[in-house]
Amino acid sequence: MAKLSRREFLRAVVTGFSALTVQQLVSGCQRLSPPATPTPTPSANPTTEPPPSATAASQMSPVPSETAQSNPTPSSTAGFPDLVVVRHGDPEEMVRRSLAALGGLERFVPKGSRVVIKPNICVAYHSYEYAATTNPWVVGALVELALEAGARSVRVMDSPFGGTPEEAYTRSGIAEQVQAAGGEMVAMKRFQYAATDIPEGISLHKARIYDEVLNADVLIDVPIAKHHNLARLTLGMKNLMGTILDRSEIHRDLGQRLADLHSRVRPQLTVVDAVRVLVNHGPTGGSLEDVKQMDTIIASADLVAADSYAATLFGLQPGDLGYIRAATEMGLGRSDLGGLRIEELVVGA
Amino acid sequence: MARNARRSRHKQRLTWSHARKLSQVIALLAFLASFLGLYSARLPGSLANLFLRLDPLAVLAQSAASRTWLAGSAIALLTLGLTLVFGRAWCGWVCPLGTLLDLLPLHRIAHPPFSDKERQTFGPPSLAGKGEKMSKFGRLQGVMAPCKRSIFDYSPPPDSWRKAKILLLIAIVGMALAGNLTLLVLDPLTLSLRSLSSAIWPALDRLVTALETTLYPLPGLGQAVAAFDTWARPALLPSQPLDSRAGWLFAAALLAVVALNAWAPRFWCRYLCPLGGLLGLLSRIALVRRVVNEECSGCARCERSCPTGTIDPQRGYASDPAECTLCMDCLEECPRSSIRFPGRVSLAEAQPYDPGRRQALATFALAIAGTSLVAAGDSSRERHPFLLQPPGGRQNDLVQRCIRCGACVRACPTAALQPALAEARLEGFWTPVLVPRLGYCDYSCNACGQVCPVEAIPPLALEDKRQQVIGLAAIDRDRCIAWAEQGECIICEEMCPVPQKAVYLEETSMTERNGPARSLLRPHVDPGLCIGCGICEYRCPVVGPAAIRVYSLGDETPPAGI
Repeated sequence: MAKLSRREFLRAVVTGFSALTVQQLVSGCQRLSPPATPTPTPSANPTTEPPPSATAASQMSPVPSETAQSNPTPSSTAGFPDLVVVRHGDPEEMVRRSLAALGGLERFVPKGSRVVIKPNICVAYHSYEYAATTNPWVVGALVELALEAGARSVRVMDSPFGGTPEEAYTRSGIAEQVQAAGGEMVAMKRFQYAATDIPEGISLHKARIYDEVLNADVLIDVPIAKHHNLARLTLGMKNLMGTILDRSEIHRDLGQRLADLHSRVRPQLTVVDAVRVLVNHGPTGGSLEDVKQMDTIIASADLVAADSYAATLFGLQPGDLGYIRAATEMGLGRSDLGGLRIEELVVGA
Repeated sequence: MARNARRSRHKQRLTWSHARKLSQVIALLAFLASFLGLYSARLPGSLANLFLRLDPLAVLAQSAASRTWLAGSAIALLTLGLTLVFGRAWCGWVCPLGTLLDLLPLHRIAHPPFSDKERQTFGPPSLAGKGEKMSKFGRLQGVMAPCKRSIFDYSPPPDSWRKAKILLLIAIVGMALAGNLTLLVLDPLTLSLRSLSSAIWPALDRLVTALETTLYPLPGLGQAVAAFDTWARPALLPSQPLDSRAGWLFAAALLAVVALNAWAPRFWCRYLCPLGGLLGLLSRIALVRRVVNEECSGCARCERSCPTGTIDPQRGYASDPAECTLCMDCLEECPRSSIRFPGRVSLAEAQPYDPGRRQALATFALAIAGTSLVAAGDSSRERHPFLLQPPGGRQNDLVQRCIRCGACVRACPTAALQPALAEARLEGFWTPVLVPRLGYCDYSCNACGQVCPVEAIPPLALEDKRQQVIGLAAIDRDRCIAWAEQGECIICEEMCPVPQKAVYLEETSMTERNGPARSLLRPHVDPGLCIGCGICEYRCPVVGPAAIRVYSLGDETPPAGI
């Protein structure tokens, strides 16, 4: 190789940096126009799930075309319930039954889609029996179903606040089940959080959200239902907190901010794990005395509806939870359990 | 040319010098591998800390200071045995710091060897040349080098400096007997490991993270960067970015040692290394040592090739076994095969630079007196409020056992453990302390105790480690969001890993200044439950010092439960 003179070297460096700058400018301009959020509308009633980028006016109109093209609408929504509750079975079986009742995971997962599953793996402290983390077999069953439905990839991720992700994934038992089912456990990387506008946000207008979660074809939210002193319960919407980087921010005005986040992060499917629930000393737990076996799975395309139903398991009304109130008010989903088509199944009885 | 023929012959067969270099590379790689395995105790602790347990100086000093003998330390006898047979072969063949210094021959940049042309001009040493001619060349080198090549004269420090390492060794032993291990910061293995864990790796991590962050948004690169990151973490780099307090200090210490290499090759090993001093003392009765026979023509090639500068033309190119690292470079250089390394039982002759009895005794006395003086100022009442030791260390006289290797600092997956600066005073300088604002003691981790080579941090099972009380959290009600601002914040309670929550919430009602009454959750600490893990302090959203902080407890048992 010819010897590089100092001048040539400096010239190359300057060219490289200007190219980088131009690229940053270009990508900065692109960010000014918010990308259309892929939103499925699997529910029968389109007003239950308005797309986040839709204006108030378009909320009235059924299924805006922009969302239909970014994500294929399930072939038929008629006849399927809004929410399914399955009780008394082994976790995998309950998940399978609940999705069958919703019309199969194929309704939500088009062939070749990239699926991201977000369980709650908040700490690395305990095994799943302590009900601080989502039941591994629930997650495993979803991975299996998604692959059966023809998903191109199924990636499972969370970002624990206590302990390393590797340790948390292993100790929760989730890594083992996910890998056995053919999915991937992914440690969330700091550089993949993208500064994202939340156009519909009332209290939270900007957050650094994990890009894979935003760009996934299908996002499945798999919270475990458990106690939390500020939110009262942590369910599906609280579980979305694991997709953002600055979490202490969101603690102020938690209810509204969680709803704001939900307006931007829109899971296509929510499966609430209430197999074993933590009724006190959440979200970390650590004592089996605080764990109650409920053997229940709640599945819905409407996160707000799923959370609302889950609240009743703890003897609360949906309106008792600030984030459900806020999300209902924003029109992100329905919490009027009386008005929903709910199918209740019992597996093992 | 005969010389070229020799060169090519050497290229073809494996010489002792090649074997030594191979051994150095393998040892360095093994050291790096064990370093990587320390993180989160990914390798079994006894394997990850093997190098430190092989270090006889650390083991000797640790045993002297703690008055205990650890079975796991017996492996250091291996190094002593090696030395009794092969002299300071450890320094030349194994020591990672020595290898690093060999890899960075700064002296060659500062004092380049004469080129062939210069040799011709100033009269090259011929094979037939005798001592007289050589010394002429040596003079020429001395005269010409500074004006032609460098601002320094090529003259390493006088040989009398070599005694420094022996005196340092005596000081370490003396201080250890008085219960202070601080000077072990100068042990080459603790120095290497600490530099890696507190300076090099954090810097590398920052650099890689910055690169990843820059490259990730570039079109077409995102996937590659993510794939690289998945490969690199946690195998090579920590899975979350870790802080290193005063990392520059550790970098400066290493840089100083490396920079001295510009003055003389292996400056550190010649004059300063206390482990080298210890092994050097033993080498005086080592079996295998270098001898020069009558074949020697006095060409001085060996003298120039010797990295420790111990080959003395005044004494017929003999060397001091206490300084020779058996690097075998001279063996390769010698054109007449006049150098041999036979085994024989004898005592090496004393050197003029060996410290005298008086000097040795004075150093020993000074070390003990100085240590006592430092200790005299220590009152447990004056304990630093944030002296938080790794789990179990507080009840285990950690300061008297810790060899300052930094293995626990490397093992800690949250960077909670940092080498102490002011917290532990002089006698505890660079012992590990928990700094909750940088990281918390992970409730699912017991790595520090697993990797500690001297059990200064007891190797506790996870269940036992969870019971260890590190300190006690206290809330600053003047700064706490819930107390001072009547705000909504329960993060400390949310984070508390204790099953029954050592931070608990009290529901009270309060009236806004001009508003209605409303309920409010306020955190309290239950001193009977708090283990002082520090996650509350780590996650407290108050800017600057947290509104909940973990304070030091005494050495005594923790306060009884309520």
